[in-house]
Amino acid sequence: MKIWVDRNICDNHGQCAIAAPDNFTMDDDGVLQYKEDFSDDELEYIEDAIDVCPVQAIFLKGEQ
Amino acid sequence: MTTTAAEVPYLDISHTDFAMASEAVRDARDAHWYARTNYGIAVLAYADVSTLMKSPRMIQGSAKWPQHHGVHDGLFHDWWARNLLVLEGEDHHRIRRLANPAFSPRKIKALGHRFDELAEELIDQWIDDGEVEFVEGFAAPFATRVLCIMLGIDEDEWPIINRLASTVGAALGVNIKQEIEEIDAALEELHRYADKLISDRQQNPKDDFVTRLVDANRDGDSLSDAQLQNLLVLLIFGGMDTTRNQLGLAMQSFIRQPHQWELLASRPAELAEAAVEESLRVNPTTRWVTREVAEAFEHKDLKFQPGDTVHMFTYASGTDPEVFSDPTRINLEAERKPHYAFGGGVHHCLGHFVARSDMQAALPALAARITNLRVVDGGDEWMPDSGNTGPVRLRIAFDKRDNTSQNQG
Repeated sequence: MKIWVDRNICDNHGQCAIAAPDNFTMDDDGVLQYKEDFSDDELEYIEDAIDVCPVQAIFLKGEQ
Repeated sequence: MTTTAAEVPYLDISHTDFAMASEAVRDARDAHWYARTNYGIAVLAYADVSTLMKSPRMIQGSAKWPQHHGVHDGLFHDWWARNLLVLEGEDHHRIRRLANPAFSPRKIKALGHRFDELAEELIDQWIDDGEVEFVEGFAAPFATRVLCIMLGIDEDEWPIINRLASTVGAALGVNIKQEIEEIDAALEELHRYADKLISDRQQNPKDDFVTRLVDANRDGDSLSDAQLQNLLVLLIFGGMDTTRNQLGLAMQSFIRQPHQWELLASRPAELAEAAVEESLRVNPTTRWVTREVAEAFEHKDLKFQPGDTVHMFTYASGTDPEVFSDPTRINLEAERKPHYAFGGGVHHCLGHFVARSDMQAALPALAARITNLRVVDGGDEWMPDSGNTGPVRLRIAFDKRDNTSQNQG
């Protein structure tokens, strides 16, 4: 599975970068940057990031 | 491009006649993206509120609220200094990380049927009267009992929680210094409620919100008893007045647009979300969100310096004609960009899924049962239309909807 952020919805609040800082970061301009790939032990915090997103723009995509 | 001071509008936001939902504010916004005020810069245009609300170069702007109003010690002073609203950086992020999962939209959704039942129970109490004082008859008990449901407090105790939260809420008014003794006393009582809940769930864990906060753990880190207490009090403090006021403001907006109310009644499940979002956009209880500049930067024609106070005007940005067609009117069928009634960025309202979910229960329940709404002459009284606003009283006359007897069996 990969992380996928719908950029049409994402409003760069940055709550995901608080929940899962290893996977999501806000750059100097306040724009979200993220890594699609992640390890199993990061999944729990990525799920927190998905939940906490105020505009619900984060998804997991791919096999299974 | 440089803008001379003369071209930048000026708004006296502490004048007794100042109102957010006014031609003066809309004209200022249409003239320029910001205005000067007697207390900082007011950002007015949607695009600029959207950018600056989330700017990493600003911090939340009310950390020194008690000190600025002459309160230098005591229970409220100390509680405020440690609450999530004013914490920054890793201190803020750590608590937010631990607390967020309890506010997960999936967890909140599971409480939806409780919110539905509560709305019906309250409406039952006055549906045959033909009129209701909406704050007392619905908004206040609904908002407070939602908190009781969330926290697992006996719902019969809602008048006590309502009184305590309202008293502590006065701390955000300019008379905080005069009222600080009552505020501190009420806060002490809220602390006792919180302590009781925390120790109870530590001993008898349940499948509920407080237990999820008590059990919250990341890599061995968890919330201390003092942090749990502070957070539960913040939830009551931040969750009650806001929801009560927002429900009253939503009714005010829908009373002006009976066609939209009928639309909601005809397609409640489909339009509940839009009803809440549109009410928040055109008539937000939080009229502004304050930030303080932490690091010098430029935005368009303006240089921001550390320490500058910047207000994001939610009503002005939510009704910006650059972004919204027929901007001051609710349109449940329009595609709308997001509003900033819950703030934004790292300090985005923690409880917004709760507020959204409970109002998505309340508004359709009301629309399903009452129609032809009118404000009774002389029956409404309003807080000043500035910082946080809403009705003090809102007496509404209505007709019972014809299909009510069928729906209710």
